[in-house]
Amino acid sequence: MEHTSLIERILRGIALALVVVFFMFPLLWIFLMSFQTNETILSIPPQLFFTPTLQNYTALITGKLTSAAGTLDIAFMRNLWNSVFLSVTSVAVSLLLGVPAAYAFARHKFRGSEDIAFTLLSFRFAPPLLVLLPLTLYFQQLGLANTYFGLVWVYQLICLPLILWIVRGYFEDISADVEYAYRIAGHSWFATFRKIALPLAGPGIAAAGLLAFIFAWNNFVFALVLASADKQPVTVGALAFVTASGIQYGQIAAAIVLSIAPTLALALYAQRYLVEGLSLGAVKG
Amino acid sequence: MATLELHSIVKRFKDNTVLDDVSLAVDDGEILVLFGPSGAGKTVLLRLIAGVLDADAGRIVIDGEDMTGVDAEFRGVGMAFQNFALFPHMDAFANIATPLEARKTPRDAVRAGVESVARLLKIDHVLTHRPRALSNGQKQRTALARALVGSPPVLLLDDPLRNVDAKLRFEMRLELPRLLADRGATVIYVTQDYKEAMALGDRIAVMGQAGIRQIGTPEEIYLQPAGLDIARLFGDPTINLLDVRPSRDGQGIHVALSGTRVELPAAMEPSVGRACVAGLRPETLHFVKAGTKGAVPVTIEAETPLNEKTVTLARTRGGREILVSRPAGTPGPDHGEAFLAVDAGSVLMFDKASGERIAAGGPAAPRKRATA
Amino acid sequence: MPAVVPTARRRSGLRISKRALPYVLSLPALLVCIGILVPFFAAVLYSFQRYRLSQPWNRQYNWGENYLNFFTDPGFWNTLRVSLVYAGSTVVLELLLGLGIALLLQKRTRLNNFISIMLLMPLMTAPALAALMWKLMTNPGFGVLSYLAGLVGLQDFRWASSPSTALFTVVLVDIWVYTPFIMILLLAGLRSLPTQPFEAAALDGVPRSFVFFRITLPMLMPYILTATLFRLLDSIQQFDIIYAMTQGGPGDTLTVFQVEAYLNFFQSTNVGRSAALLMILWVITYFLSFVFIKNWLRLRERARGEA
Repeated sequence: MEHTSLIERILRGIALALVVVFFMFPLLWIFLMSFQTNETILSIPPQLFFTPTLQNYTALITGKLTSAAGTLDIAFMRNLWNSVFLSVTSVAVSLLLGVPAAYAFARHKFRGSEDIAFTLLSFRFAPPLLVLLPLTLYFQQLGLANTYFGLVWVYQLICLPLILWIVRGYFEDISADVEYAYRIAGHSWFATFRKIALPLAGPGIAAAGLLAFIFAWNNFVFALVLASADKQPVTVGALAFVTASGIQYGQIAAAIVLSIAPTLALALYAQRYLVEGLSLGAVKG
Repeated sequence: MATLELHSIVKRFKDNTVLDDVSLAVDDGEILVLFGPSGAGKTVLLRLIAGVLDADAGRIVIDGEDMTGVDAEFRGVGMAFQNFALFPHMDAFANIATPLEARKTPRDAVRAGVESVARLLKIDHVLTHRPRALSNGQKQRTALARALVGSPPVLLLDDPLRNVDAKLRFEMRLELPRLLADRGATVIYVTQDYKEAMALGDRIAVMGQAGIRQIGTPEEIYLQPAGLDIARLFGDPTINLLDVRPSRDGQGIHVALSGTRVELPAAMEPSVGRACVAGLRPETLHFVKAGTKGAVPVTIEAETPLNEKTVTLARTRGGREILVSRPAGTPGPDHGEAFLAVDAGSVLMFDKASGERIAAGGPAAPRKRATA
Repeated sequence: MPAVVPTARRRSGLRISKRALPYVLSLPALLVCIGILVPFFAAVLYSFQRYRLSQPWNRQYNWGENYLNFFTDPGFWNTLRVSLVYAGSTVVLELLLGLGIALLLQKRTRLNNFISIMLLMPLMTAPALAALMWKLMTNPGFGVLSYLAGLVGLQDFRWASSPSTALFTVVLVDIWVYTPFIMILLLAGLRSLPTQPFEAAALDGVPRSFVFFRITLPMLMPYILTATLFRLLDSIQQFDIIYAMTQGGPGDTLTVFQVEAYLNFFQSTNVGRSAALLMILWVITYFLSFVFIKNWLRLRERARGEA
């Protein structure tokens, strides 16, 4: 590969540049837009150089949008809080349920264990609305409609298969002898789970948790169907916000930036595990 | 400090029966070596005793108490694994301390216990290292220390010298018997190395074909192997195996070797007229002067001096190869024609079809006939 | 030497029988899932009912009628067509693009690693929010893409708001979000390939096109299959991007399965038809996931083996 011609190197460079522009430009553009006033945004041709303003962000954070027409309440911070709460709680519950189950599937090949594991996996690929639409009716009967409890429960559909299959792989990678040695030394299975299996699978559990958080955060359809305004996360809130604030494009851009920043930051932080997580443990990065 | 009994143990993995009706009794303070090729079920048997695997049938009794179905942590055994199985996230001290901590030993006693066993095994200077930072030898000693520290009445050692270098293995083979004797524990020691088995075992159980083929003292196993397979596993150079068909005439039982009549003891009676394999240990053969009565003529093919002995490859008139071993430094022929004296009393006779040993040989037998 | 401590033979405390332990450990997760299976079976029943939320008194089993009606229902055929075209075009384009990018980034240089990490950002953007971003960029009034389209002579390019270009626009957004997924999987696959065949081929002066089609592609095939099926499974069910961008419009241009089912349920309150649509989608994904899981397992075993 060292003897590639100059022309080929140039072509490769151009291709890479085009790729980077295509995938990065929208993020950059929205980021710039979030620091622009509506006048700058609406000017034609679009401005690359402008005086940045923080007014979009202050409007979002204070929840008051002051314009010539008067003030408008924005519930965006509430959406942001909902996203944080729903994602964190769902991942926590999912870890609590999924890690012991992953351990059972990895260590004890009991009757039906593979079937159960695959049923869980198949949830990842079933059409979500198939479950969500009947659930709206059931949740109303159960009093779970528009509750955090109900939402966290349904979010397990996203988090649980991911955590189960990734963490299971990490448990399988721990030598069984190491756990046997601890048992023989005189410790109970629970002590062995806590002192040996958990610490050794720790990085995998953390990675699976982070990924589950990202997917929970990015989810749209669950909350769209099951939550009303006061429980909606940013993905649904931002859409409603577009309709509500009409032409306040700067604020929409700022809302998008605030909504995607946490997942992008986490993804960059956990990028070493992304390949494995995205393929549910099928490919290691 | 404890006896150990296995009663009719059966263990299957899917359709593969690894242990079929295995029974075994180990005396208090005895060192029993489980010896056999890989895949013979040695490690599985050890794990059944430790309680990390469950037998499909049979009972395990430790010191009179039925341990069948009892969890590993309540069995009071110590175990060292072939792959060491150290806890990678703990330093050597914490690794060794785990059995003591399980019993809620006071902190001072834990420290004293770990340090004393570490000194004994010469790893007291690396106690703060994680396994990753230990050499293979240090890992092996740490694993051993972890098994020993709690002074368990039953000690299971799964080929602990397998993964260490030759020098360390040699040292440990000298050290271990004293170490284990001092402990007074009942020990089950798994190995694939017959020298280790002979050096360490009070008794050796030879495993094969989903069970124990033979159990006995090292001498019994070596001198009276139950079958061809076992005879072949012990001894270096390996035993000479020659197809023969013993016959009897007025002068007694004999076989023909290199066209020479070799007399056999009367106890070989059952082998007469059957297709047999005669086993001749290389060290029981001696070169003798031409003309000695009953001497077998051979041609010397090659000579290999090993450290403590010299091994000669000879060929019989019939073209069969025979290895002869003699102490290094003793005189012997290095080429051409030579004559071998066969010690009839130490000839092992096996049935060719079944591989089982037919008649008793052994040096203890006083019925040695003068052939030299 | 510490004195021999008699082994405490405690058999009380937190002791669960060995046989029951795995069930106990996985039970909570199972219960949560059983809760989710209930609505699934409800959906199966709904699909065999005449069931409108607006006429609860009129609810009754009509058995296969919802399904039979599909044969003569142009709306259904439109849904099937749009879904397949959407899934087919996104997966093919993303596969080609993702493979191309993975090949560009194959060498482990610092720049390539940096770019491959950067390219993950679209994938980590919520698809619904990605759709909003593109909506802003294609706004006819001020959108930068509309402006750029105008510069190249497409003054009246109306992106998602025109029936003729709406599909193109949502496919573009899907490509923006999901190409990195294929890229990152194939990159991991490419980098895990053994080097000997390539070195041997280079020594023998084998043409590069031959190396690519006869060595690289076949060896990469399990990764390509897994990535493709994974995407196909998601893409045939796409909802977020399309709903956030156009809510299925304009008209019924983009009423893919899940969008159509959603609209049926909440707008026309026709639960029966909605459930029947989803059942058909479920059958499609079920068979796809069957093939997928087989491939996926093989890859997973390979990854575990390397660990």
